[in-house]
Amino acid sequence: MILSIAWRNVWRSKTRSLVMIAAIALGLFAGIFMMAFMNGMYNSRIESATRSELSHIQVHAPHFLDNTESELFIPNGFALAEQIAALDSVEAASPRLIAEPFIMAAHGTGGGKMLGIDPEKEKQVTDIWEHLVDGTYLEKTSRMPPVLVGKKLADKLRLKVGTKINVQLVDFNGDLSSKGYRVAGIYKTVNTGFDEMHLFVNINDLRSQIGIQPDAVHEIAILLKDNSYAPLVKPAVQKTAPGMDVQTWKELSPEMSLITDSMDQYMYIFILIILIALCFGIINTMLMAVLERVKEIGMLMAIGMNKRKIFNMIILESIMLTLTGGVVGILLGIGISRIFEQHPINLSAFAQGLEQYGMSTEISTVFPSHSLGILITLVVLTGLISAIYPARKALKLNPAEATRTE
Amino acid sequence: MKIIEIKNLHKIYNGSSVSVHAVNGIDMSIEEGEFTAIVGPSGSGKTTLLNIIGGLDDATEGSVEIEGVKINELSSRKLTDFRMKNIGFVFQAYNLIPVLTAKENVEFIMHLQGSKKADRDARTSELLKAVGLGEMMDRRPSKLSGGQQQRVAVARALASKPKFVLADEPTANLDSHSTENLLDIMEQLNKEEKITFIFSTHDQRVVNKARRVITIEDGKIISDIRK
Repeated sequence: MILSIAWRNVWRSKTRSLVMIAAIALGLFAGIFMMAFMNGMYNSRIESATRSELSHIQVHAPHFLDNTESELFIPNGFALAEQIAALDSVEAASPRLIAEPFIMAAHGTGGGKMLGIDPEKEKQVTDIWEHLVDGTYLEKTSRMPPVLVGKKLADKLRLKVGTKINVQLVDFNGDLSSKGYRVAGIYKTVNTGFDEMHLFVNINDLRSQIGIQPDAVHEIAILLKDNSYAPLVKPAVQKTAPGMDVQTWKELSPEMSLITDSMDQYMYIFILIILIALCFGIINTMLMAVLERVKEIGMLMAIGMNKRKIFNMIILESIMLTLTGGVVGILLGIGISRIFEQHPINLSAFAQGLEQYGMSTEISTVFPSHSLGILITLVVLTGLISAIYPARKALKLNPAEATRTE
Repeated sequence: MKIIEIKNLHKIYNGSSVSVHAVNGIDMSIEEGEFTAIVGPSGSGKTTLLNIIGGLDDATEGSVEIEGVKINELSSRKLTDFRMKNIGFVFQAYNLIPVLTAKENVEFIMHLQGSKKADRDARTSELLKAVGLGEMMDRRPSKLSGGQQQRVAVARALASKPKFVLADEPTANLDSHSTENLLDIMEQLNKEEKITFIFSTHDQRVVNKARRVITIEDGKIISDIRK
């Protein structure tokens, strides 16, 4: 019956309660939508990082990532990549050779990272081929070996499809090696930084320039069926490649790991700030509700309703008020987020800024459903905390005086 | 049989500049089944006396014993529980819960007592019929007249089967017809069910119905007449 009274009391002053419920609903909606938007934004960053740049797991020879020296290679790299590709939850594995070249073009020079890839295998791991804006995906169209360059680098060095570049690097023997390549294609991912720094060539072309043994690779990039499997599959990969460095995308990119790991906390802090602001409104509403009912509360005390029950009744009332607004806000937030999940928000007006951070200009909002329980708990806690002061005020009433209040 | 025994009762309100001796050495007792009116001018101390008897206010000195229990020695928690089980209250302004129906207002105290639903339903129905509101059980207070609301309040006061009912100026807000009607109902309940009623009142119609009239002035009993 206390529950029923508390619920009916919420609707005693309909306008006041509706205003408060609307404020809670709007506040939570804004928080949840923001949460879904940020989540979508970082998901797009992770997706682009793993699909275009890092893949999910990488295998290297020990210390290769510290020095990027040619002699730090994985022997029998192709066979190992085949073995890894056959593991459970592994979608594909692509062997790569890596060099850090000095690039000379007619209109300028630059540095970067050159990846020697097997185009067909790489297609299964990264989506660079889907981002071609001009030319072909490493198809040999002339006597010179083909190279795929990023749009940013192409713009910087004024490269076009068919332009010749000269690539200098230190070969396996420590000598300077120089080789000409012809731009076969230009790609553009959502990350301009990546596009400026990465060149792709056929693995055999880079091998011949480095002068490394035929079965050697510097990196095996592995794509999993889902990026969350990375820590689970890593031990199996490590077992297949004993003595090699095996790292997940989070380990390879600690800054991205920090973003994903701390994003939930940031979001909860954001929601908490909204709820704290709403807290003051709820305290005010509940205080008015108590002060309007001094006579009634006095009567309840007089007829024998103990303080604990009165306290609980007011707390329940506040929780119901908050939860009503909370549920409306959460449903609204999830609903609108779902709509923008299906119809991504176009942020092409901010393309330049977003692409610098490797983020897509089309953001699909994603509501993190694992947060639902925590959100509801936070809403209930807000209602509870907000009611403490008004409830304590009610308990201080003297029933003899309260029943005669005009 | 005595159900209330009051000995040397004093209540002093200490204000910032003056102290008011609202109850000044009252000794009295109430027998089971009495229909008593406590009368006196405004500020004479009758409401304070009623509040102390009902355990809503503390005495400065003296004691109130209800069937052998000194209520001024009970802890706040026990006193609340004691009130729920032993005392019925009727207030001047009815003090019903506006969001509950007449039936729910009456059964609320039984709910606090932990009564079973079947018992609650039967008692509520019996009481509301007794006060002539059998047909209006599902109406909220806002849909009842002042007299009807006060009758619901009487039914509520009796719901917990109290040892006595304290009614603080129960007719003050009622017209004469409603007053007559309410007094008839309370008199009938008193006679037929031996329910003890104690009123504080200014209302001559209540005084006329009462079988005992205690007059208070300046916190002291100046007359105690049994008719």
